[in-house]
Amino acid sequence: MGGLFFVPMVGLLGILIAWYRRDPQRFLDGPTEDAPLRLTRWAIGLLAPQRAEWGQAMLGELGHIKGRARRMRFALGCAAAALVLRPWGRAAAGVWAMIALAAGSVGLYASVAVHYRLAGGDWIAGGILTVFVIGVLLGGSSLVRRPGVAIPGLLGGLIVVLVWLALSGFTFLDQILPDIVHWHRWVDLIVVPFAVGAAGTLWSGDPVAGKRVARLAAITSGLGLFVYTSIAVAVIGGGGPPDQDGGFTLRGTVSDRLGNNMILLAFTTLVVATIGWGGAAAAGRLLRRTPTPTIAGPISPNPEPQQEA
Amino acid sequence: MQRNRPPSPQTINVLRALAADPAQWRYGYDLATEVHLKSGSLYPILVRLADRGLLETSWKPGVGSRPPRHLYRLSPTGREFVAALTAARVDRSVPQPHNRWSEA
Repeated sequence: MGGLFFVPMVGLLGILIAWYRRDPQRFLDGPTEDAPLRLTRWAIGLLAPQRAEWGQAMLGELGHIKGRARRMRFALGCAAAALVLRPWGRAAAGVWAMIALAAGSVGLYASVAVHYRLAGGDWIAGGILTVFVIGVLLGGSSLVRRPGVAIPGLLGGLIVVLVWLALSGFTFLDQILPDIVHWHRWVDLIVVPFAVGAAGTLWSGDPVAGKRVARLAAITSGLGLFVYTSIAVAVIGGGGPPDQDGGFTLRGTVSDRLGNNMILLAFTTLVVATIGWGGAAAAGRLLRRTPTPTIAGPISPNPEPQQEA
Repeated sequence: MQRNRPPSPQTINVLRALAADPAQWRYGYDLATEVHLKSGSLYPILVRLADRGLLETSWKPGVGSRPPRHLYRLSPTGREFVAALTAARVDRSVPQPHNRWSEA
């Protein structure tokens, strides 16, 4: 089963890394640009505005530390400090929310795998899940640092999850053995993500920010749904009516249900990000077409003389 | 609401390092090295001390391509706080006679 997930998961991770590194200017800040400096910059982006001076203090201190290992240790400490320094900025709160979701995802999977003594293939799948979750966590943590993205992105993810659960049913059995209604999926996967992306653009007035909102909503909704469905598997285990395509043993059934959750995680994340991106872009086009009111007309260098009445 | 918890041992170490020469401005990394603290522990301590008015901060302009550096030293309130802290510790270290039993 592990091989079944390996290709799309690694492919998605590759796409995320390529997306992050697509802008070569990001790495052309000068000869001293290195991983500790990038990490410290990332960390100080998490600080609340009233702590901005302390972020500059960390950067200034790093500029005088020599040795890659020392610089990296210092930068890691700064990242930890930025995550715990009160008051939390919106970005730090967003990162903590995603860390909680990511830890919940991996922790629940591992606890179910240990409880039911699942086979090696499921542990390989768990390893892939961990890599995937770390990838989306890194991607999400870079998104929440952008201005005007954290709150609408997290809110958008929450809306996607709530609509999904409202339509499919809030009970754990509804999640494990969903009674899929065709139009529900249209609403879950097309209408709501599109609306979230469009709302992100309209909220910020910028389609680029709207696309970031859509991506953050995709990450949080994917992880949120995975946590919920994993709790369902942890509670119900192999119980409930037999799966139509499930295993014939208790372990096989649980393994199948965990696998379904992983597919849901990857599928939801990709679809919500893509459709939300489209919604943000469409709203952006709409914004561009809307004429902006002008205060004064163009000034002509040689105005024609006005005839007095 | 600000809580007035007693300072942690790490905070006391930082205060003592700063109090060794109160007039001297100190760099964050040098302080961290002296008191064997990681930056992840040092900066929250410095922020708390500055918030409570125990620390003065300043900037040393950058030289060439190097960025400006943040400097720290104890404020007058900070010096009083360290003095009071030291006095309290001295008081605790002096053995107290058990007057209650002798008075009985």
